[in-house]
Amino acid sequence: MKLCTRQICFILLAYTAVSRMILYPTLLSAACGRDLLFPALIDFFVQGVIIWAVAFLCSKTDKTLFELLEGALGNIVARIVYGLFAAFFFLTAIIPLFEQKLYVHAIFYDTIPSLLVFVPFFFFSVYAGTKGFKNIGRSADICLPVFILAMLFIFVMALVEVKWDNFLPILKTPIKKVFGGSLSTLYRFSEPCWLLMFMGHFKYKKWDAAKITLSYAGGAVITLFMLFVFYGIYGELAMSRQFAISKISLFFPAIELLGRIDLIALYILEIAMLFALVLNIQLTVHCVKKCTGYTDKNVISFIVNAALLIILVVCDSKFHSIHTVYEKWMWIVFVIFANVMPLLAWALPRRKKR
Amino acid sequence: MVTLEKNIKGVKDVLTSQDIIVFEFNSLSGKKFAAIYADGLADKQLLGELVVKPLRDAKEDIKLDDVKLLLASPEVKDGTKIKDAIKEVSDGNAVLFVDGEKDFFIIGLKNPPGRTPAEPPTQIVIKGPREGFTEDIKTNLGLVRKRVKSENMQVKMLKTGKRSDTAVAMVYIDGVCEKGLPEKIEKQIAKNEIDLIPDSSYISQFISKKPRSLFKRNGTTEKPDIFCAKICEGRVGLIVDGSPIALTVPYMLVEDMQAAEDYYALSYRSTVLRIIRVMSLIVGMLLPALYISAQLFKIQLIPFQLLLKIASSISGLPLSPSVEMFFTLFVLEVLNEASIRMPKYVGLALSVVGALVLGDTAVKAGIISSPAIIIIALSAICLYTTPDLVETTTTLRWIFLIIAGSIGPFGIVVFICFLICYLVTEQSYGVPLMCPFAPLVKNDLYDSMVKANSYTLKKRPESLNVRDKVRLKQK
Repeated sequence: MKLCTRQICFILLAYTAVSRMILYPTLLSAACGRDLLFPALIDFFVQGVIIWAVAFLCSKTDKTLFELLEGALGNIVARIVYGLFAAFFFLTAIIPLFEQKLYVHAIFYDTIPSLLVFVPFFFFSVYAGTKGFKNIGRSADICLPVFILAMLFIFVMALVEVKWDNFLPILKTPIKKVFGGSLSTLYRFSEPCWLLMFMGHFKYKKWDAAKITLSYAGGAVITLFMLFVFYGIYGELAMSRQFAISKISLFFPAIELLGRIDLIALYILEIAMLFALVLNIQLTVHCVKKCTGYTDKNVISFIVNAALLIILVVCDSKFHSIHTVYEKWMWIVFVIFANVMPLLAWALPRRKKR
Repeated sequence: MVTLEKNIKGVKDVLTSQDIIVFEFNSLSGKKFAAIYADGLADKQLLGELVVKPLRDAKEDIKLDDVKLLLASPEVKDGTKIKDAIKEVSDGNAVLFVDGEKDFFIIGLKNPPGRTPAEPPTQIVIKGPREGFTEDIKTNLGLVRKRVKSENMQVKMLKTGKRSDTAVAMVYIDGVCEKGLPEKIEKQIAKNEIDLIPDSSYISQFISKKPRSLFKRNGTTEKPDIFCAKICEGRVGLIVDGSPIALTVPYMLVEDMQAAEDYYALSYRSTVLRIIRVMSLIVGMLLPALYISAQLFKIQLIPFQLLLKIASSISGLPLSPSVEMFFTLFVLEVLNEASIRMPKYVGLALSVVGALVLGDTAVKAGIISSPAIIIIALSAICLYTTPDLVETTTTLRWIFLIIAGSIGPFGIVVFICFLICYLVTEQSYGVPLMCPFAPLVKNDLYDSMVKANSYTLKKRPESLNVRDKVRLKQK
C-alpha cells in the first residue's frame, strides 16, 4: 500500500489547518466579525460529516475510486470523472497559490519583490508533482512535527495578547450573515476529495474512519483556535489584517519591529504550507494521468505547473476579481465535488478484492 | 614427467616482474623444490620455518602426499593449474612446486605490510573501545570475529577489480538480516568491472543504486564495535581489502547522527547530544545563508542591537554581503583543504597565516566583517559534529548560500521542501533513507533523535525488515 492511515490522519490534521492561515481569518472577520468562529464551525462540521462518510466508504471496499467507477460505469466514464476531478483540483490550487504568493512577498521580503521570487516554488512543485501517493504520505510524516513545533511557538507568543472582551457580545451577528460567511468561504474546503482520491491506496483497519474523522476535527480545532487568537488580538481591526498567522505573534513582549524571531517559526511553518499547497497540484497530476492514460508524470506535472504559472503571471493584478468570482460562484463547484461526489461514491457497487 | 623448470617457467612467463622470487632448494635426500612468492607480500621468515626447513630435513625420498604432511603451515591448499598459482602468488601467498610433479601447493603466507589496529582519527571516543580497522582485510575480519562469535555470522569472500582482484568480505548474521539482501549486494558489486579498487569508497558507489546522488546510500565506519553492532542489528557489512573504512547497508540518514559513544554513555546525555548534533547540522548548513538573506532581503530578522553592531562592522566594506560571505567561505574551504594536505610541520605557519593574517588583518583592513567570520567559523564547527555527512552538508551549504544570495529566505524554504520531497522517497536496499521519521516507525524512534536505554531497545530496528526481531530478552 502506498499510504497508511496514520499518514492520512497527519495530512488532514496539518494541511487542513495550515491551508487556512493566510486570508481565511481575515475573510471570516470581515463576513461575521466577532462571531467568525460560527461559520467556520458550520463548514468544518459539514465537511467532517462528509469526511466520515468517505472514510466509512473506505472500510467497505479496498478499491480506488477509479476502479469503482470503472467497474460500475466503464472506463470512459471513469476517465471523464477523473478529468473533472483534475479540473477541480486545478481550480482549488489557484486561490491558495495567489495567497501564498502575496504571503511570501509580505513575510519573506522587506520590500515588494519581483514576481520572479515566487517562481522557484514551481520548480519544487513540478518535482513534487512527479511523485506519487507514497511521497505525499511520507512528506506528511515530516510536515506534522514541523507544523506542531511552529504552531506551538507562534501560539505561545500570541496567547498573551488575546483580549476576551473582543468576542462580546456573542452571537449578535444575524444568522443569514453567519451562513453567508460559511458559504462564501466554502471554496477552501476540498478535504473530502483528498480522501476520495486516497481511497484504495491505504489498508483500512478497524476504527480508521474514526481516526481519520478525529484528525480532521483536530485540524479544525487548530484552525478555530487560530481564528480565536487572531480575533482576540485584533478585534474589529481583524478584517483589515491580512496574513493572519504572521500577525498574531507580533505583540509578544520579546519581539520588536526588528529582531522578529517569530519569523523563524513562520518560515518553518511555510514548509508545511508549501506541501499543503502542492498536494492539490499532485492530485491534479494524478487525475490527469488517470484520465489521459499518459504515464509520463514529468510531462503532466510540467504542463499543470506551467498553466498555474501562466495564470499567476497573467492575473497577478487581478487577484481581487478572481477572489470575488470564487466567493460568489465557486461554492457551487465545491459543493458538487467536495460534498456531493463523495456521497455519490456510496452509490457505486463495491466488491472487496480478495 | 613435468620438470620443476617447466613449472617455474610457466609462472615466470606471466609474472615477469623482478620482485617475484623463485627460491629453489633440495631436501637431504636430493629431492628438488621451488617456492615462488612475491617479495614484500609473503612472509619469508614463515616460509623458511614452516616450508623450507621441514622439507630440507627430509632424509628419505618423499612423494607428493608426504610433502603435504611435512609442511608445518596451517594453511595449505592443493593446486593444479598454473593459472591458480599465478593468482595466488600475486595475492601474496607462496606456491611450492615439487620436481616431477604437475600439482603444487599453495601456502597461505600472505603478510602484506600493514599497521596494527589503532584508534581511528575520525571516530574518537572518550568511553568505549578504541580499536579501529586497518587496511588489512584479515586483521579486520579478526577484529569482527573477536566480537561476534556467533555460528550464524557468515563471511562471504568476493573478488572485484579487473587488475587489482581486491578481496571484499561480505559479513552478515544469517537468520537476522533480510532474506536475499546479501545476494542483492553481491549482484550489484558483480555488475561493475573496474581496473582497481583502491578503497571502499569505490564499492560504496557500486552498491548504490543512485551513485550520482548527493546523499550516500551506505553507512561507513572505522570501528569494529560499530560494525559489529550494525551487522547484529540486521545490516550487511562490507570490508574491503586495503581500506580501513567498512561499509554497512541498508543505510538510514539518522545513522550519521548517532555516535559510538551514545551507546556507552547515559541515555539522557546521549539524547541531548543527538539533539545538539541535529541542531548543529541545521545551523551549520543554514546560518550563512540565513545571515545574508536577512541582510539582503529581510532585515527584520535581525535584532536591533545586533543590527547596529553589524551595521558598524560592515560600513565601508568593499564587498556586498553575499560576496563577502562567499569569499569568507571560500577562504575557510581553502584553509581546510590546505590543513589536510600540508605537511604537519608547516601546520603552525598555516594557523598563523589563517587566523591572524586572513582573519584578524582582513577585518582590520576592512575587507571582511567580523560577523561574517564568526558565522562561517560557527557553521564549520557545527557541521563537524556529524563528520560522516560533511561531504554532503558542505555542498548543501554552498547551494543554500547561492540561493539565499539570489532569491532570499523563500528560496531557502523552497529548497528545504525540495530536499524533504527528494529524501522521503529515496531508499537504500528497500529501507527509506528518512526512516524512522518518514515513514514513521514508532519503535525505531527510540534510537533516533532520542536514545533510549538498552532495556527499551528490546527489538531490532523494524525499518531493516529483519527476520529475528528480538534483540534483548530478559530472563
